[in-house]
Amino acid sequence: MKKYLLLEDGTAYEGEGYGYEGDIHGELVFTTSMSGYLETITDPSYAGQILIFAFPEIANYSVSMEHMESDRVQVSGLITKDAHAILSGGNSGSGFNEFLKANRIPAIDGIDTRELVEKIRKNGTIRAYISSKNEFPGSFPDTMKLDLVSQVSRKQYQYYNSGRKKQVLFIDVGTKNSLIKRLSETASLHIVPYNFDFDSIKFHYDAIFIPNGPGDPDHKSLAPLREFIREKTSEMPVMGVCLGNQLIALSLGGKTEKMKYGHRGVNHAVFSGNRVYITSHNHGYAINEASLSGTGLEVTGKDINDGTVEMINHRELPVFSVQFHPEAYPGPYDSSWFFDEVKKTLGE
Amino acid sequence: MNADIKCTLVIGSGPIVIGQAAEFDYSGSQACLALKEEGVRTVLLNSNPATIQTDRDIADRIYIEPVDPESVIEIIKKEKIDSILPSTGGQVGLNLVILLDKLGILQSNNIKVLGTPVKSIETAEDRKIFFNLMRQIGEPIIDSYTLVKENYRNTIDTIKKYPLILRTGFSLGGSGGVIIENRDELISYCDDYFSVRDDNIELDESLLGLKEIEYEMMRDNAGNCISICNMENLDPMGVHTGESIVTTPSLTLSNDDYQKLRTSAIHIVNEIGVIGSCNIQFALNQNTNEYYVVEVNPRTSRSSALASKASGYPIARISTKIAMGYNINEIKNPVTRNTYAAFEPSMDYITVKIPRWPFDKFSVKREIGIEMKSIGEAMGIGRTFEEALMKSISSLDIKQAVPMRIFTSPEKSRELMNVPNDQRIFAIFDALFQGIPVKEISELSGYDQFFIYKMKNIADGMASIRPGKIPENMPYLKSLGISDETISYYSKISVPELIKYRLKNSIIPVYKKIDTCSAEFDSDTSYLYSCYDKYSDDKITEKKKVIVIGSGPNRISQGVEFDYGAVKSILSLKKAGYEAIMVNSNPETVSTDFDISDKLYFEPITLEHISNIIALENPMGIIIQFSGQTGQNMADGLSKIFKSIVLGTKPEDIFRIEERTKFSAALKNLGIKQPDFIEASNMNELEEKIKNISLPVIIRSSFIIGGRAMDIIYDYGILQERVHELFLESPGSPVLVSKYLQNATEIDVDFISSKTQSVIAGISVHIEEAGTHSGDATMVLGPDLLDKGTVEKIGAIVEKMRVNFNLLGLSNLQLAIKDGEIYVIELNARSSRSIPFVAKATGINWVDYGINAILGTEPDIKYKEPESYFIKVPVFPFKRFRDMDVILGPEMKSTGEAMCCGKTFNEAMSKVIRIMKRNFHLKSVIITVNDRDKESAIKIARKLTDSGIKVYATPGTYSSFKSAGIDSTVVYRVKDLRLPGISEVIRNEDISMIINTPSESYGSIRDGFSIRNLGIKKDIPLITNIKFAGELIDSIISSKKTGIRELQEYY
Repeated sequence: MKKYLLLEDGTAYEGEGYGYEGDIHGELVFTTSMSGYLETITDPSYAGQILIFAFPEIANYSVSMEHMESDRVQVSGLITKDAHAILSGGNSGSGFNEFLKANRIPAIDGIDTRELVEKIRKNGTIRAYISSKNEFPGSFPDTMKLDLVSQVSRKQYQYYNSGRKKQVLFIDVGTKNSLIKRLSETASLHIVPYNFDFDSIKFHYDAIFIPNGPGDPDHKSLAPLREFIREKTSEMPVMGVCLGNQLIALSLGGKTEKMKYGHRGVNHAVFSGNRVYITSHNHGYAINEASLSGTGLEVTGKDINDGTVEMINHRELPVFSVQFHPEAYPGPYDSSWFFDEVKKTLGE
Repeated sequence: MNADIKCTLVIGSGPIVIGQAAEFDYSGSQACLALKEEGVRTVLLNSNPATIQTDRDIADRIYIEPVDPESVIEIIKKEKIDSILPSTGGQVGLNLVILLDKLGILQSNNIKVLGTPVKSIETAEDRKIFFNLMRQIGEPIIDSYTLVKENYRNTIDTIKKYPLILRTGFSLGGSGGVIIENRDELISYCDDYFSVRDDNIELDESLLGLKEIEYEMMRDNAGNCISICNMENLDPMGVHTGESIVTTPSLTLSNDDYQKLRTSAIHIVNEIGVIGSCNIQFALNQNTNEYYVVEVNPRTSRSSALASKASGYPIARISTKIAMGYNINEIKNPVTRNTYAAFEPSMDYITVKIPRWPFDKFSVKREIGIEMKSIGEAMGIGRTFEEALMKSISSLDIKQAVPMRIFTSPEKSRELMNVPNDQRIFAIFDALFQGIPVKEISELSGYDQFFIYKMKNIADGMASIRPGKIPENMPYLKSLGISDETISYYSKISVPELIKYRLKNSIIPVYKKIDTCSAEFDSDTSYLYSCYDKYSDDKITEKKKVIVIGSGPNRISQGVEFDYGAVKSILSLKKAGYEAIMVNSNPETVSTDFDISDKLYFEPITLEHISNIIALENPMGIIIQFSGQTGQNMADGLSKIFKSIVLGTKPEDIFRIEERTKFSAALKNLGIKQPDFIEASNMNELEEKIKNISLPVIIRSSFIIGGRAMDIIYDYGILQERVHELFLESPGSPVLVSKYLQNATEIDVDFISSKTQSVIAGISVHIEEAGTHSGDATMVLGPDLLDKGTVEKIGAIVEKMRVNFNLLGLSNLQLAIKDGEIYVIELNARSSRSIPFVAKATGINWVDYGINAILGTEPDIKYKEPESYFIKVPVFPFKRFRDMDVILGPEMKSTGEAMCCGKTFNEAMSKVIRIMKRNFHLKSVIITVNDRDKESAIKIARKLTDSGIKVYATPGTYSSFKSAGIDSTVVYRVKDLRLPGISEVIRNEDISMIINTPSESYGSIRDGFSIRNLGIKKDIPLITNIKFAGELIDSIISSKKTGIRELQEYY
């Protein structure tokens, strides 16, 4: 069945539809990662986005739950060149197709994904609509304006007792499972929703951790959280990854900005001193470096190609965070030293 | 950068052999250019003249001399070398630097090894040290054993698991690897081995059937480490990676698998201390989630050349910069020119590498395994696996690539899938057509089901084609990579017709960039591949442009020599102000380096793909002279689709040259002599006509390449037999029988032609008499080899050829001289294998003159004899093919060549033995020759005994020596069953050389075969031509101190 990818700029692309049959709006972004398709599409940071896989052969191996980074597929829609599942029902059987259907995720195959990647590189991220008809919708809503964190954050408090002594308040703004897993090797986690009533907390905790998540860090729904972080930075270690990184910067007076087309992939080099780390990225917003002056925060690592702020550190306080994903999945484990830093900071 | 580096010696890898081919010319050239860029003076040592790196464009100082410690010691005396770069010289480079280190030469001359330190190289190369290190650092390896001569039986008793893989010494392309199934087999092998050798045997637990995955790593001086790409072998463990079909990137690994192996690779290169590039091989068991580290190559390799071309990341170049002291965050990415070398390439396409085997030339067993037998490889690039696979197969230029099938029975296809061999991929297609289930095919072949499903898509596509009409689903078939040739085969519609239809209906591919980053960043380089997708991301210019096509995968008779011409012609075209466009499919070459041409199309060299590019680019013309026979065969088709597109000699003239009878008639008209010949299409015709010529004769079928289907025949009965075979093989096609000129001198003339004149570039005289294929002959260029009158006569013949065949550009003429008469044997209206040799010997860029002549500039140069002597020495792959006879004949067998230079013929000749064997000492020689060669053998034997060299001879040879008064020791032939037998002598005595010339009688052929193979097993230089033997022995005995010189000093 034909399906159409319709873009805000008036262009349309036809391909073979698969997955869920409904129509969907989203911000069109791409990832250059060549493996780890399941980890990628289940990453909550992709909420509100239609994802293009730049790599053409996708779903070459079976769907398996152990590769999932959350309890469901998080992308709004999927654009592929040659998803194995629908062409021949190969290794992954019809599994992938069924899996997307069950998750209500529409997808289009047979698209010249490189063409779209080039378009986005040149013109920036674009709003898009996946439809079974070649008819443009009345409008293209900006899905980044939505309260995306509320869609992916846990609704309930959850205590993750890993047997570790140190207690960390882990504020779920859309975390990947791997981050919880890696962090729990160092501490027991009090996982709370992003809009938790922080004043009501009775349990003791030694530090705060803010993980990854979707959307604009400056979104108004996150204001209470930013305020809470600001208060706590002078009291205890505050650490973060991805959206967490941006929230820390904002809390301390810095600014963030939307990137032209973001970083999504597992091959980005971040340099810090004379060391280079190949890191996993998924972010469409970044910290404005100049805005950090006077916040006490300093930039300790940048993306080698475009200079994006990737690591920040507070000059005096035990506050630090990274924009990339040290927990990997998908991607390299090269920056797992981050968790050693966390451990050290916690005094473990 | 390290400021102490001012002058670096770069080690080349020497002649092309199996397992060490053109990829090292590519990496060495890149290394030189990278050094030059930093203002470092480069001194290059390589004995192989057919390389780009031995060119003034690339290196500052060039030594075409044997790649051995003696040469290095001399070079150190002459040049102010402060550093040495071994890592781009393959195994030869590493072995040499280890040797130099052991001899203390590097230390005493204060020479720094650039890149990975010697100690680290040794760690990676010495299996024992390597395995110990892996155990120490907790990386999984297999069980392994070392068998020592003294107590190997005891060690064998401790072995519990079979099968095992057995290796001896430092491996090159897996040489010497054997699979041992059980204890009895092992004992018998070891008893045999240790009776002739003292060095150890290494045994490894077999990982047969596991997935074989490779990672190309890069580590800098600060310890930053990246993975350039990984590669997945379709053929599971048990098939050498050089023999495997390989995809980049891996397609069936999960993120877990991918990152687990990548992390292990980083761990290993860190522990070894690699500086620069490194290849690591793993065996992966996806059922148990276990993996094993198999091998580490701390240098650029065939795989790294492949990885460079597949990913776009120029590994050798970056690796050299790192060796100079840079770190990856300080080096720009030369592809995008907008990003840094510190990142991991991301691909938005698939590449498939497929080996090219010589089984179409060599009648040997077609099974493949842990030893490398392939001569070259092609890479196909596409947006899907199907497209990439099909393009790689199209590039092979083999007959199976047309139907994609071999039409076997289901039983036979099952067998061919189960036992690795060169036909396996086609057997899988057969099986799919036969309806054998994907799962079963996957189990039999060991290929992941994913790949079989993909191949099934292709097979289903082919099965949908109906004869007699152009398929309606043409766009879909094309997106599967199915070639026009294949569609033509199943639809019975001719290829030019299909191409015209496609062009008219715009069923044409788009071209996409290889940019290392999946379009995430803007890229400045036009490194392109075609695909049937929707959007082209390259711009077509309005400039004057010329397309040059390369020669595709290396194969016997079509190797790196052609790439030399292709690269030089690209450079000439650029200099002349044209946009120079390169098309080639061989990832090992310099011509597929994106930095050489203005635009690089990495595409199969087939009419289909070339036509697509011509239609798109609309060039002034296309140059096919550097594409070997592949280009010549395409000339006709090109002129059918595009009018006058071929630059240089025109297709219609090429046809008049290639078509034997037309050519012969033309010679007759011109009054030029040629060996008598007849042409017959059936046995009756043959018997009728054969009366006109006397034996011996050479037989061949028409449209030959590399002398395939050729043979010298001395016996009428054998002639009948062979011709009968040829008729059976291809009924209806005529067989040519020509008089074999015995004891004639054969000559190769390379020349260029303009519109008004011809200029001879070089006249190479063969040392072997006519009859040995020109690619296998030892050739000399030098002063006074021919008298003035002969040279003049040759000049006149060349000019007649130019005028008659409207030659333009480069050509090659093969002549035979007998009793003062000159006979024309063959004319090729294209660049030849000998053109780089001639260029190096004369110091003149003949390709440039040829290209300019094609473009209309008259050459302002005249023929001149060289000042010094240059000998082109072929090297052979006999060690790899134990079931192949080593006799040279009209069928080409060599894989590569070296050049030996000298101020005198003798000096040049004395270097030949250094190419053949390191540390050669002449102590004793076995001579066993046929009756025709007895007289010459006597002269050789006399010289040897006069110099105190011991001579062994077989009874016939012995008695002729005896009657000539020469003292020799008799050894009995294998069939004599008497002692001392020749095999015992070869095994037990210190034999330095075997001179054995073949005789035709059946028993002797077999006898000779076993003698020759025994010699090869023991690595004893084996000479099968008496003339060459005489020259070689002369040079060894009379050898005075030989000098080595910068190439310029020979001019």
